[in-house]
Amino acid sequence: MRRLIRKLCFAIVCAALPALSQKVAIHAPSSVSAGSSLAITTTGSGSATLYLIGPSRVRKQSIKLGQQVEISGQDVAASGNYRAVTCDSEGCVSAVFQVLPAKPTRLAFMLHPSRVPVSTPKAVNGTALVSDRYHNTVIAPTKVDFHLSLGGESSTRSVQSVRGIAWFEIGSRPKQGALQVVASVDDTAEPRVIQQVAAEACGLRMSAAPSGHLVKLQTDPIRDCAGNPLPDGTIVSFTKTDAAGKSTVDTPIKKEKATAQFEVSGPAHISVACGVVVGNELTLGGRP
Amino acid sequence: MRKPLLLLGGLLLVLGCLTWIFQARWPIVDVQAASLPKVVLSAESLAPRPIEQRTGEAVTHDYAQAWQDLADGLDTNRTDLLGDYFTGEAKVRFTQRIKEQRNTGLRTRYQDNGHHVKAVFYSVDGGEMQLEDEVQLEVQVFDGQKMIYTSNSPQKYLVLMTPGSDRWYVRCLESVPEETF
Amino acid sequence: MRFGLTLLIVVLTAVLLIAGWVQAGGMKLRAERAASTPEEAVRALLADIQGHNWEHAYALLDHANDIQKTDFIRDIAGTDGSLRTYSSLQSFDIWPVHADATHATLRVRMNWSSAVGSLDDVRDWPVVRDGSVWKVVWPKPNFANVPLQVLPVNYLRWDVIGKRSDEFGSAAVDSPQVRIISMNAVERPDSVVIVGEVENEDTVPAYLNVSATLLKPDGSPLAKQDSFDEIAHSLLPKQVSPYRIDFPGIRLNQVKSVRMDVHPLLVPASADPVISVENQNVNKDALGRTVLKGALINQSGQVVNIAQVLAVFYDSSGKAIWVSDGYVDQALLPQAPVPFAVDIPADVANRMHDYHVVVNHYTAPSA
Repeated sequence: MRRLIRKLCFAIVCAALPALSQKVAIHAPSSVSAGSSLAITTTGSGSATLYLIGPSRVRKQSIKLGQQVEISGQDVAASGNYRAVTCDSEGCVSAVFQVLPAKPTRLAFMLHPSRVPVSTPKAVNGTALVSDRYHNTVIAPTKVDFHLSLGGESSTRSVQSVRGIAWFEIGSRPKQGALQVVASVDDTAEPRVIQQVAAEACGLRMSAAPSGHLVKLQTDPIRDCAGNPLPDGTIVSFTKTDAAGKSTVDTPIKKEKATAQFEVSGPAHISVACGVVVGNELTLGGRP
Repeated sequence: MRKPLLLLGGLLLVLGCLTWIFQARWPIVDVQAASLPKVVLSAESLAPRPIEQRTGEAVTHDYAQAWQDLADGLDTNRTDLLGDYFTGEAKVRFTQRIKEQRNTGLRTRYQDNGHHVKAVFYSVDGGEMQLEDEVQLEVQVFDGQKMIYTSNSPQKYLVLMTPGSDRWYVRCLESVPEETF
Repeated sequence: MRFGLTLLIVVLTAVLLIAGWVQAGGMKLRAERAASTPEEAVRALLADIQGHNWEHAYALLDHANDIQKTDFIRDIAGTDGSLRTYSSLQSFDIWPVHADATHATLRVRMNWSSAVGSLDDVRDWPVVRDGSVWKVVWPKPNFANVPLQVLPVNYLRWDVIGKRSDEFGSAAVDSPQVRIISMNAVERPDSVVIVGEVENEDTVPAYLNVSATLLKPDGSPLAKQDSFDEIAHSLLPKQVSPYRIDFPGIRLNQVKSVRMDVHPLLVPASADPVISVENQNVNKDALGRTVLKGALINQSGQVVNIAQVLAVFYDSSGKAIWVSDGYVDQALLPQAPVPFAVDIPADVANRMHDYHVVVNHYTAPSA
């Protein structure tokens, strides 16, 4: 009987020994996709505290060792390094895992400039930043389409993103108007518009119509070298020099033309300019 | 006999107050006087446009300052320290992290041993700059006074910086796997 | 005892009142109003103008030219929200130009303190003897008399609509494209001055400011200033404005280079009013200074309350060598010419080959 009891005790001790000697450990998957739930397992027994430390989240909760802990997708929405730490009275153990970006669903699209003169080489550029629904940069190469359309013309260029960035650069078209550029990834599209505007005035000319002691000045329709009319409101400067001195007026273009009126005394010299572009000059005999 | 004792007591009281005042002020001076983390920026492979010297200096300084602010913020659990050099998603994330640290009684201490930063993308219009950062970072996480986690290993970050009126802001600061670059 | 105290209070009050009157220049005022000499007549008039005492000032005038009181007050106090209406006479200087037994001419320089700083107004005033006193002959003001008419105004207007999104990567509208087209660092006796011109190259209006940083030989900043009001801040498309940035107390040999910055903003604007600058001439003023004179004509239908003239002067190679400015203290009524004059430093006048004038304007929002 005593031998039996001794054997039984030995068997119980042998059975309990692994459990008594089992150290606390923590296991997590090496990587998960952002926003996906995951399970963290611990070994050991008794109660402990689990810490989850990520780029934007910190969680602290009591757990039973040896049980599996579910981590919700919300807690691992930000991509990056996460640390799961379990502490009990004996100390702390930890596991590190990586949260990777989810599939691309968002685009930040910067298109510059918002206004551009026509026929300017390398004047238009766009940068698209590809991210997932949690704003994590999608590092894996992704095909981004840039669809350009102006009037009836359209074209598409596809660019593979590098570290989440895809970009392009083109010259502006020779015709003024709204150039629409749409950046897209799968079902996500971001449209932007650039106004292509007339370039500098080309062949600026004016004519004079003397009337008594007055002279009325009017330009020909003011256009750039591609034939696009300069927008209304653009300033044209007229300068008249005569015996009375110099007179100037900055007047805006209305319906493609700019007009001005001066009094003249004696012979007069008249010039016209638009920004840094100088037009023709006139000399009038004048009427004293 | 009582007079010298009273005098001594008074002196001790004054010294005690002075010590308290200085102790109370030290953390602020520390933050302000602390030297910035070492940041070495290389821009040899930068595309599509090159970086101007002034821009490079500004980016280097502002990125170092951002890391300093982040380290101070995580150590003292102060979200206000993130306002000067962080913006956008980076600011949102680290603000949330600090708030949750504060709520759970945790704090994180960074021992920053320097950054090797490579500028890899600078947009044509100068509005975005992407950096690859390899940093030797010693991390200690405390729950109250108890250290619950420590590590000292190189880490890689993908960074997006965008210019503001007088400085460059860190808009994204994401740790990435070792093999990313 | 009670009576004594009352007496004491009354005496003290009287003494204080007399002291106050003397302190406020009452004695001087009384002497100035005696007008027994041409200069005293002018001084008395100016003292009344200084005190906004229009009734008494009008009474001191010679009325032979039939000047109306309302015209006199409009002339001296300003109308239509002009700069003069926000000004007060700070000080004055008087010089005799001519004098005989019954007639005299005095040159008066009035220094007005205004919302935009001090302004000088130099005038020659005839003074005539009337019995035992001298009286100022106030030149009859020549107010514009524009016939009643309907003036169609259909200039363009730009509005900025919508709300700027703070979200990164969302649609945005760029700031206007502006360019500094010239810059010249000029040494003056007591300062370094940066002058030049800036152009709005865009197709939308721009509100802009130009700043300059002077750099030392080691590249560190020495001083930074901006153009403040020495620029036309609102520029319509393709419009050019001169600018001037002053660095008082700095010598040019302290400066290695200059860093220029221009800060344009997208703003709503109107192409109206159009102001022409007529009959510009370089002349000498009454004090012998070289000035650029001319007249402003508001070609639109709305009153322009305050106008500022900015003139850039070029040397024979076309380089900008100076920028002068001057405020016009009269409102610009539609179609009515208003004279202006801006100073030209003597050394600039000697080297100047050409000039260009632009007009800055302010119109109070109508009720």
